[in-house]
Amino acid sequence: MDNATKFGSIYFAVLGIAALAFGIAEFVVMGMYGTEGTAWGPLDISGLFLPWRAIILIGAGLMYLSSVTNFADIRQLAKAVAASIMVWIVAGMSFWGMIAGSIPGGEDGPWFSSPADFAAAYSYPYMPAIFLLPFSLVIIYFILRRRRVTVGRE
Amino acid sequence: MELTVDRRWDLVDRIAKETVEVGVYRPSLKDALADVTVRPATGIPVAIAVIYGFWMFFCEFAGTLFTDGFFVKIFDGHWLPWLQEVFPFGLGNWFYELMVDAGHMENGVLVASDNCFEAFGVLTSGLFIAIGVVLPAIIAFYLILGLLEDMGYLPRLAVLVDTVLHKIGLHGYAIVPTFLSLGCNVPGVSATRSLETRKQRFMMITLLGVFIPCGAQIGMMQDLIPAQIGWVFLTLLVGYLGVGWILNKVWPGGESPEILMDVPPYQMPTWGNIGRKLWIRVSGFFKVAVPFVLLGCVIVGILYLTGAMDHIANALEPLLTNVFGVPSDTVAPLVAGFLRKDLAVGMLEPIEMTTFQLFTSVVLLCIYFPCLATFALMIKELNWKEILGCLATLVVVVFIFGGILHGIGTIGGWY
Repeated sequence: MDNATKFGSIYFAVLGIAALAFGIAEFVVMGMYGTEGTAWGPLDISGLFLPWRAIILIGAGLMYLSSVTNFADIRQLAKAVAASIMVWIVAGMSFWGMIAGSIPGGEDGPWFSSPADFAAAYSYPYMPAIFLLPFSLVIIYFILRRRRVTVGRE
Repeated sequence: MELTVDRRWDLVDRIAKETVEVGVYRPSLKDALADVTVRPATGIPVAIAVIYGFWMFFCEFAGTLFTDGFFVKIFDGHWLPWLQEVFPFGLGNWFYELMVDAGHMENGVLVASDNCFEAFGVLTSGLFIAIGVVLPAIIAFYLILGLLEDMGYLPRLAVLVDTVLHKIGLHGYAIVPTFLSLGCNVPGVSATRSLETRKQRFMMITLLGVFIPCGAQIGMMQDLIPAQIGWVFLTLLVGYLGVGWILNKVWPGGESPEILMDVPPYQMPTWGNIGRKLWIRVSGFFKVAVPFVLLGCVIVGILYLTGAMDHIANALEPLLTNVFGVPSDTVAPLVAGFLRKDLAVGMLEPIEMTTFQLFTSVVLLCIYFPCLATFALMIKELNWKEILGCLATLVVVVFIFGGILHGIGTIGGWY
């Protein structure tokens, strides 16, 4: 096992545990506060679709964890890629919600938001998936590395 | 010249050696990813994430950005007041009521409406529903559907749900008409032609007509009951699977045949193709939908003006209140629902009722009858026996679902 593969195994095991922990935390918060949820520092755990986000993060966490044994195998890498795509979907839709909400000026306001309101729409707290997003992007390095190895072999 | 068996096999060997290349199969990442998305253990979480993404994009695009962000302001803040000012005749005149604003009574005085949902004129509610609510919803839906189709995800979803759908006598590919129907029931019903047997087609068309709301209706539901829409979908899913299972047992036609399905590889979608498909679907949908929405407004308006709606409401009141537990006022949306379900859902908004009654009314509107355009296509696609079977299913389902929901509401004390 080369160093990059070893790093990948450890890295995605840690990321898997983090995703799993966030997913479980979302379920716990939902059990305590319902979908009203709560904000804790920069972390926002709330919303109508909280249970679905929790299920997706738990699924992604488990897929990351199951990918770490024999990480060099393409099938295992594919699991980590699929888990990352799941994190990207949840985080991406959270960003999309911010964008969609930041453009109109509100019911009684002007047509478009003022620059200050527009910027305020992007301030914290954020959903857990957004914190996982930058770390999940590391998978792109492994995809490109795999491609280099495949092209080199051919 | 005749070859012996041995010489024939030698010849086969020689041809095979020259033409067949033997090597170790090395799956690409795309192949491995394709495998991950069809295996239940990994495919189901991915499918949940994809459907979540689909739904969130739909809600934020159609609801937050366009309908609530701009169209409500355009129609309620500018279009309605402008029409109320410039349209001739004024409140109390039958033509004005039909076209602009029926108004409502407050302390015995007829007052003008302040939003397009309540005005119920052809030029106010009709246009607001068609353009302000349905247009963004349909664009969002078909945009994501086109993306999933061109990427090659839908056939994988078909493989994933194959086992479940086999239990109700269909196969995985039935997910395609189902998904299409979530946009509009008309192409969904047309897509059932790809199913193998007459029985499968009948079952699929019945399930689509009864349990699958169209994109326009979903847009209206999202606007009206955002917090309960998940429960509406859950109720419809239970009905889809339960009634499918029963139909498979009782409708003659034998077992569902096994099919071999070609699953294309994942590929990068091209925006040109998606844009073209989106244009064709949205423009096609609008040619069918807008005239029916406007016609629906006219018919309901005439029924109100002539007093016919009151007679129908009085006649149906025992059924609506005693069996389904909803107010007799819901009769007007039920009448409009024959033409357009989205219009009918929009008409529920001004009616005074509890959240649970609103939820029950939305479910009943979904299942009680397909819209006119879908029904016309059903007549074309099914024979008279199948049409009768479909209508009988529909009546039974409405009474069972309406009764059960009424029972649940009574036990839960939600009235």
